[in-house]
Amino acid sequence: MTLSKLSLRNAKRQTGDYLVYFVTVTITAALLYACNGLIFSPEILKLSTLMRSLPVTIVLASIVVVCIMGWLVQYTTGFMFTKRSREFGTYILIGLENRQVARLFFLENLIVGAFALLFGILLGNLVFQALRAILLALFGVPYTFVFTFSFRAVALTLFYFVLIYLSAQLRSRRRIRSMKIYDLIYFDRLNENAALAKSGRRKKIFSASIVFGVAGTLLLLTRSLPTGILGAACIIVFLYGFFLSFSSGVPAWFDRRPGRKYQGQTLLIFRTLSAKLNTMGIVMATIALLFTAVLISQGTGLVFGAIFESRQTAETCFDIFIGTETPEQDGSDLIAYIESSIPVTAAHSYSIYQGTDARITDYLNENTDYYPCYPYDTWMKFSDYAALRSMLGYPDVTLKPGEYLIHCVPWQKSAVTACAQPVTVDGATLQPGSIHTETLNQRLWNVNGTDFILILPDEAVLSRPVSHNLYAAMTKEPVSEEQYAALCRIRDDREPYSHITLYTAPQVQAEYASSTAMLVLPLYYLALVLIMTAATILTIQQLSETDRYRRQFLLLKKLGMDRQEMHRALRLQFTIYYAMPAIPPLFVSVPFLLSLCNATDPGVTEGFYRPLNIICITLALFFMIYAVYIVMAYRSLKRNVLP
Amino acid sequence: MLQVENIEKYYGNGTGVTKALRRISFRVEDGEFIAIMGASGSGKTTLLNCISTIDTISAGRICLDGIDVSALSSAELARFRREKLGFVFQDFNLLDTLTIEENIGLALSLTHTEPAAVQKQVQDVAQKLGIADILPKFPYQVSGGQKQRAACARAMVAGQSLLLADEPTGALDSKASKNLLEIMTQMNRAMHATILMVTHDAYSASYASRILFLKDGRLFNELIRGGRDRSVFYHEILDVLALTGGDISDVI
Repeated sequence: MTLSKLSLRNAKRQTGDYLVYFVTVTITAALLYACNGLIFSPEILKLSTLMRSLPVTIVLASIVVVCIMGWLVQYTTGFMFTKRSREFGTYILIGLENRQVARLFFLENLIVGAFALLFGILLGNLVFQALRAILLALFGVPYTFVFTFSFRAVALTLFYFVLIYLSAQLRSRRRIRSMKIYDLIYFDRLNENAALAKSGRRKKIFSASIVFGVAGTLLLLTRSLPTGILGAACIIVFLYGFFLSFSSGVPAWFDRRPGRKYQGQTLLIFRTLSAKLNTMGIVMATIALLFTAVLISQGTGLVFGAIFESRQTAETCFDIFIGTETPEQDGSDLIAYIESSIPVTAAHSYSIYQGTDARITDYLNENTDYYPCYPYDTWMKFSDYAALRSMLGYPDVTLKPGEYLIHCVPWQKSAVTACAQPVTVDGATLQPGSIHTETLNQRLWNVNGTDFILILPDEAVLSRPVSHNLYAAMTKEPVSEEQYAALCRIRDDREPYSHITLYTAPQVQAEYASSTAMLVLPLYYLALVLIMTAATILTIQQLSETDRYRRQFLLLKKLGMDRQEMHRALRLQFTIYYAMPAIPPLFVSVPFLLSLCNATDPGVTEGFYRPLNIICITLALFFMIYAVYIVMAYRSLKRNVLP
Repeated sequence: MLQVENIEKYYGNGTGVTKALRRISFRVEDGEFIAIMGASGSGKTTLLNCISTIDTISAGRICLDGIDVSALSSAELARFRREKLGFVFQDFNLLDTLTIEENIGLALSLTHTEPAAVQKQVQDVAQKLGIADILPKFPYQVSGGQKQRAACARAMVAGQSLLLADEPTGALDSKASKNLLEIMTQMNRAMHATILMVTHDAYSASYASRILFLKDGRLFNELIRGGRDRSVFYHEILDVLALTGGDISDVI
């Protein structure tokens, strides 16, 4: 049998033994290819001029993915090497040279990598179509299936794979070439060293790590960059300290409470786990760190998605919206261009007035998450309000004599209701009437009031000074990017520092769709690769113990443990093993995400249910992917281990 | 205590049937130390596996303390094994992630013994077998002889009626073997443990009070030590082995 045939056969066997690893590398190759496909797709990049930055964020995310995958490949190759060192020693014993064995192992891994890349690219075409459909939907472009195959995407994916595999393979190649037969044959018998042997040191590190964990989480909640970085550093110290000391601290805890360990399945489970954790402290901590990054990436992606969606909803109710900053500006040049070049179905020019006081503004400023843009409450004529409602297709409202209406954003309704008081203008007193909360473009400056506006009878407003002028229109066709650019040119040429607000619905939609594509998509891409990598390492570790578990359960059967108890022991041990690296990240990421929810635009994650929703979706996505690996490992182990 | 009646064990089916055990019957009384000897392939380990309920018999009956083991369900068998039988294997079969104390205590935790009482019972049995000082150690930290004594402790700590030993000295050097066999004799005499030991080694068998010889799955001979000296008994065993064609190493 030639060396290449032996390599091929071993590669086939390796794929079977390390199926989880092979699947993860294949899915990562698919994701890399699909993302590369996006950055080389003219269709995607032409969706908006803002999408020109997409390749930068995707390449940055891919670099992180290459590093993480490099670690996975290096870890798994090292793991395989340890498990197969006796086989390599035997090859040398029967006459092969070290360099031939090194080449054999190198070839095997290369074959596995090549197949993963091949399958990955095939699968990547499907993933690309899914991503394409998502992006087109974000931009409101109808999806039609068009098969695309990008050689440039293949070349970039191949380049990434060469980087991933080369460093890991060259390292193991060097290792085999320099090892002696004896070392190879007895390599798997070397005891792994416990990271922390001394009990006193262990206790100190455990206590210190808890302090670092609490401090790190609190620092992350401060919402400031320097303390946030310090907080992240503390979390890293916490995770490594915790796992290095915890694994060896558990037996010490049981030693002080000998009665506890003989209860039920405790003895078997805690000893099996502590033996595993004793030598896996650093790996467990790294996995917990990856899980923390996954939860934070996923949650941050969801929070940003919610922000973009909320802003888009708030700003796109009118197809065109112009808002001046001062009463002197009127945007007449812009309106003239619109009237001459853009077919509109309805349009309305109107003014916002300065109220007689700032009672609601002050109340919101003091009692809610509110940014006051004007030192007075803003007012609007009822006739303008009625025209805007009609333009937007909202139901008609009536203004009873002696009353005024309020239109506000939904999340301020209760606060506005609490502080609404009679308004006196020109000697007449108006009582607060109904409050309406439909979308009316009320975010920040130069709009229909910041978060709220008072709607008064036309005659009551006439005596008040104008705050700023607005123009709103609905168009027959969506405003094109060129038309928007022309409007921007008019605004910037005539009044370069005017700060006139100019929205067109398609431009706002494209802006937020691009932001989502450039920020949320890479975050999910990273999160997916990180969780797959971490779960793969845990699963490889667990499945590598199959033989030992089989021997253990065979003995337990002989000693009289019944099958049900064995099932229970295996299940419990499995649950604890997979829960261990997932629990500390929950304590870090959940408070962080809750804090992030509070730091967003007002109203985006208001109340109890929206942040809870984000946390639940984040955890559900995380545990759904994690569960796939857990179920795969459990089924395999149950099949092979229980007698 | 143990009653084996006409048991048979077949492997395979159709024309490829192998008869591992053929109509074997014998009785073991309370407190006896019995050795089962025979050449490789004579069926001695199969017999032990059938008695220990690890394997099932094709015909016949095995009763321990009046219970017919072939009539028990799998859950009852598991319970029967943990309460009535103790095992000592050639390769010790201690769990390497557990300390010696925990390995012994494991048998008690399987019988749901009160956790607080486990440590005391383990200490007691370890004291009797001379391994009290190695209880906190892991199996890889102790010698083969100590491991086998720990296995003996595990086999009797839960008050099991019958101790089944499969080549217990197979992985030990001669000094450790002698030591273990003396411990087993002590367990038999002082603690009234009933022992059924499978061995192909005449020296080990000479510690037993009765020896059953198997050949080609049949009970071929029986040797009772009586009041004879152990060295005399040993030579008698060698004579029987020479007659039955036992392993050549046993007679050289």
